[in-house]
Amino acid sequence: MQITRRHFFRVMGVAGASVAVRPPAGHAWQSKAPPDPYGCLVDLTRCVGCRKCEEACAEVNCLPEPERVNCQCTIFEKDRRPDHDAYTVVNRYYTGKVDEFDKPVPTFAKVQCMHCQDPACVSACIVGALTKDETGTVRYDVTKCIGCRYCMVACPFEIPAYEYHDPITPKVMKCTFCYDRISKQGGVPGCATICPTEAITFGRRDTLLEVAKQRLKNNPARYLPHIYGEKEVGGTSWMYLSGVPFEQVNLPALPETPSPKLSETVQHSLFTYLWSPILLFGVLGGLMAWFNKNDNPPDKGGV
Amino acid sequence: MIKKIMVCACLIPFLAGVCAAEVWKAPDQEQARERAKETVPFVKEYKDDCQISRRICLMDAGISLDDVTTVYFLLDSPIIKDREDHYEPVRFAHKRHAALVDDCTQCHHYRPKDENALETTRCSACHQDSFNPEYPERIGLKAAYHQQCMECHQQEAKGPVDCTGCHLKHVPDHKELVKLPDNPDPIQVTKACLECHDTQGEDMLKTAHWLWRGPSPYTTGHRKDILHGKGTTALNNF
Ligand code: SF4
Ligand code: SF4
Repeated sequence: MQITRRHFFRVMGVAGASVAVRPPAGHAWQSKAPPDPYGCLVDLTRCVGCRKCEEACAEVNCLPEPERVNCQCTIFEKDRRPDHDAYTVVNRYYTGKVDEFDKPVPTFAKVQCMHCQDPACVSACIVGALTKDETGTVRYDVTKCIGCRYCMVACPFEIPAYEYHDPITPKVMKCTFCYDRISKQGGVPGCATICPTEAITFGRRDTLLEVAKQRLKNNPARYLPHIYGEKEVGGTSWMYLSGVPFEQVNLPALPETPSPKLSETVQHSLFTYLWSPILLFGVLGGLMAWFNKNDNPPDKGGV
Repeated sequence: MIKKIMVCACLIPFLAGVCAAEVWKAPDQEQARERAKETVPFVKEYKDDCQISRRICLMDAGISLDDVTTVYFLLDSPIIKDREDHYEPVRFAHKRHAALVDDCTQCHHYRPKDENALETTRCSACHQDSFNPEYPERIGLKAAYHQQCMECHQQEAKGPVDCTGCHLKHVPDHKELVKLPDNPDPIQVTKACLECHDTQGEDMLKTAHWLWRGPSPYTTGHRKDILHGKGTTALNNF
């Protein structure tokens, strides 16, 4: 078979055009967020940095007791992240805020899994070990997990941690939203129960949004006019109010599109009607034929 | 040895207190304990006046410091203990706080909508269980206490803001822990104390209770003698 260069481009052109005129990916991306999830509203202006939430979390989830649990003198000197030993940690930030005596005022911020409405980790997990539950919890099923750690890469908040030290039964470790407690009537997560100042308010996400808006309205001087997590990455079950810029307390500015929307749309449109593999193999076949033609040894004549 | 007797002298009243708890009970403590157990009906609706109108209201009603009847509260409500019970109750000197702050509206910030209700209601009438879905903006009793106390202590740079500054330490019953002969002498008692509280014993040696010297105005013959004191000539040392 002889393929001229012109012929090849013609074929390619037709293939390209057929792709271009093909209607956009049959099914538009649809959010799978539960309709009425629970959530928590963390009010950083109320947090006093006592780290009782860390202590309660460890107790409820049978994790090792947090480092220096009753002493807050030096622990805040390092910036900590949730890891395989702690689902939540509290950090201290000096953001330039001062009191009336010009003394710097710290802001404390608790960090844990945000239980995104459309979680990137769930979308990235190829075996369905992570699922978004009706309660709003992003649950992890270790029996399904194959340890690929895609969830860790996908999470925009860099939350999931991995038990690297455990070669036999390693698990992905992240906040469980105290599923066993909140799925029961009247149950409240461990951290929210113990928090002395109600810096963590637990309730239905919609209710919490109302509460948050009310607080912003009643006390505009205390807060920045933004509810972090209302829209970020398509909305999260855990939301924050703050008096200092969110980036300064390690809550990154993120787009409003749910992370899975882009990745899933790309994936789905690539594989709709299997057009992309067909095209790929078509192109490869074409290239091969073309190269074969070029590589044909010159006619030796009568051999 | 001399020093340790001193420690003993200081610890005796404490130990005596522990032993005598069975016999004598502080009446105001008992009263506060009983009161702390009470719960009152939930106030659903409140009048959210601003602080100045509240102050005027109280003034018009003729409520002043003289009306503070309860001197002392034990903050130990079952509303909080239902959810978690990690800390010992807080002893709240109500009258003293009232006198210091001299403004009832600092804490009694709102009043019930019901005109017949008292002008100054209990905290636990409006603030009860946390996360009540019907009143989502209403904080629970525990948060109300902590926010109110800590914010004010911070602002005024007065009063504790750490846990053990307010919460009583959990003191186990020493009847089981301490074994003493009948009619122990001071040295035996001190020895028993120091068996566990040796750090406290050491710490005590660095305090004025141990090192004081100076005039003893109430001791006959030594009124002007500035060299007397536990740091110098006092005798009853361990
Ligand atoms: S914060 Fe990360 S781990 Fe938690 S639900 Fe969102 S993507 Fe998943
Ligand atoms: S328990 Fe509450 S106040 Fe204490 S560190 Fe956690 S969020 Fe902050």
